[in-house]
Amino acid sequence: IPGEMKEVVLWSPEEVTSWLMDNAVPEYCEPLKSFTGRDLINLTEEDFRKSPLSRVSSDSGQRLLNMIEGLKMAHHMEAHKNGHANGHVRAGDPARQNGFGAALKLNGIPNGFKKEMIKIPMPEPERSQYPMEWGKTFLAFIYALLCFVFTTVTISVVHERVPPKEVQPPLPDAFFDRFDRVQWAFSICEINGMILVGLWFVQWLLLKYKSIISRRFFCIVGTLYLYRCITMYVTTLPVPGMHFKCSPKLFGDWESHLRRIMKLIAGGGLSITGSHNMCGDYLYSGHTVILTLTYLFIKEYSPRRLWWYHWLCWALSMVGMFCILLAHDHYTVDVVVAYYITTRLFWWYHTMANQQVLKEASQTNLLARVWWYKPFQYFEKNVQGIVPRSYHWPLRCPALARGRQVKYSRLVSDT
Amino acid sequence: MNTIETAKLEEHMEGQPNDTSNGYSRPSLSVSEENKNGTSKPKGLSNGLRKTAKKYPDYIQIAMPAESRNKFPLEWWKTGIAFVYALFNLILTTVMITVVHERVPPKELSPPLPDKFFDYIDRVKWAFSVSEINGMILLGLWIFQWLFLRYKSIVGRRFFFIIGTLYLYRCITMYVTTLPVPGMHFQCAPKLNGDSQAKVQRILRLISGGGLSITGSHILCGDFLFSGHTVVLTLVYLFIKESNLLRMHFIHLSKLLMSNAAGIICILVAHEHYTVDVIIAYYITTRLFWWYHSMANEKTLKVSSQTNFLSRAWWYPIFYFFEKNVQGSVPCSFSWPISWPPSCFKSSCKKYSRVQ
Repeated sequence: IPGEMKEVVLWSPEEVTSWLMDNAVPEYCEPLKSFTGRDLINLTEEDFRKSPLSRVSSDSGQRLLNMIEGLKMAHHMEAHKNGHANGHVRAGDPARQNGFGAALKLNGIPNGFKKEMIKIPMPEPERSQYPMEWGKTFLAFIYALLCFVFTTVTISVVHERVPPKEVQPPLPDAFFDRFDRVQWAFSICEINGMILVGLWFVQWLLLKYKSIISRRFFCIVGTLYLYRCITMYVTTLPVPGMHFKCSPKLFGDWESHLRRIMKLIAGGGLSITGSHNMCGDYLYSGHTVILTLTYLFIKEYSPRRLWWYHWLCWALSMVGMFCILLAHDHYTVDVVVAYYITTRLFWWYHTMANQQVLKEASQTNLLARVWWYKPFQYFEKNVQGIVPRSYHWPLRCPALARGRQVKYSRLVSDT
Repeated sequence: MNTIETAKLEEHMEGQPNDTSNGYSRPSLSVSEENKNGTSKPKGLSNGLRKTAKKYPDYIQIAMPAESRNKFPLEWWKTGIAFVYALFNLILTTVMITVVHERVPPKELSPPLPDKFFDYIDRVKWAFSVSEINGMILLGLWIFQWLFLRYKSIVGRRFFFIIGTLYLYRCITMYVTTLPVPGMHFQCAPKLNGDSQAKVQRILRLISGGGLSITGSHILCGDFLFSGHTVVLTLVYLFIKESNLLRMHFIHLSKLLMSNAAGIICILVAHEHYTVDVIIAYYITTRLFWWYHSMANEKTLKVSSQTNFLSRAWWYPIFYFFEKNVQGSVPCSFSWPISWPPSCFKSSCKKYSRVQ
């Protein structure tokens, strides 16, 4: 106990013996019984190679030497407690380091205090529990991009097959029977969508595990658009309302097709930007997918106590979906199916990602029977456990990064 | 303090004669000892502690809950509830079909929608009968296998619940938007505008015929999104595969799969449903089946928690009610349907129990 013992150099042999007994190395009592404190601290490895110590020691004195070092350190600490910042400069004894590898970490100890510190071998932290792996995120991004492009191509193809509204009037729809069309409603829906996407993007910038979360987003949105391609393509629904103005058909004119596709991509598929005047992409609704998915991601990856923020986003999402129907821009079944598929896919993916046991295919793990299980495993295999909701400023601004994370590290109880 | 207590107990142990299994013969002393030290140990703990402390002085007894009940309780009444649920949904579907039928636009006014499959494959008249016969055979096979299952009630409960929910979803999608007839060959029964009696008669006729065209009960149009035939075919196939008939070889399983696929394709060949109906039906059926069974098999997924997203489905409370007493995944074992004492055999399916 540092404060109470005398300096080691002043110890008598009895004190040395009692120290040896206290530290559970009684085997050294006999050979060292005449050692004073000074002799003790002057012990070197050489001494352990000769008798009588070589007979008694099983590890050529390493343990005892380490203990003596500890003792010396404690005492020097005591001596230099009052601000000998650059204290003891004693050239290190490399023999004692025993090849334990990397540099010694002694942050709390005054500079240049000792080079012969004892290194406690710690297992190398293999890798982070949540490795960034931006390469995989990039792959997921490419996948989502491909799916988007494929969707635009499909819309362009399907447009050719939509029957004209004179020949094929809009289908009877339960919602349309009860609510008449409101013209500006679709703009509301798209504005809501843009707000939600913007909010999600800002939130994503503040997340610490950006790459994992955006990887998930790209995978899910890509798959949803892929499914959408299939349902759009196989059966073509007629326009939901007589107000639709579909651009004329281009029979086989590839150049104009390409131009139209470019225009659609550039405008993000929104009517507000004037890029979307093609018909036929009704089952199921892409707008609903985006509204629902951004809401789900926002809610999942934001602090739980911001309940007002969640409610706001939920309201934006719900109003957006309602407005799609109010504008008679999609059939009700389009919105219902889109909502169902989006929520199920999101929950399925995240449940599998959160439970380690579901990341292995087995007889009882029926969730693994989806066709995208292998890519999922590839993306999520190195993520150990549930991605925590940590936040940080995206740009390293030292003035601003002032313990914001304190909020995060507080344990929020599960309700 | 705990070490002091343990040491004390050990001392008392040594002081006692060897048959102290029936409790402390010096209760007053122990109580006063405990009170003196300000700690209190429950009596039960001391008893057990003493017993094991006798043999293992350093051991601490951890109380385990008694394993009192059966791992797979039959609970036929829950199966009854599930059956009623499925029946209710089936009836609701028939009512819905009758309602929707009134809203289907006549095929002259609203021609069939363009469909990719129909563009490539022309209509084959008898294909739908093939599909329905396939469905009936599979259904028969499933019932036959179900009779031989040991845990009939649990599996039956699941079947009823899933099919009920699927038909409920079907009601919703059928009702909200009405698709026109997929082909000009459709002979839809005339509309009964407001004639409720005739409507009820139609409903009864539909139910009694099981909704099949073969029985002549299905003359109503409008129930296209999504396809009930596909639902039944797919679901029955999934259940059969999951329960795995006695020593079902790979060849038999693939035959089953082919018949299932053939049934579905025949629906399309007969131009009785749009392709999107079949695709959506297949998707919803498989997802619901896998979702339900994963939750049922995995203990961690049965509990609703923040990280268990599967529990966010609307039917989770119902699921929990049905499955809360089922511990773990139901083993695939068989027994004679009429319990015959010497013949109750348990042949576990090799495929199923083998670690893949």
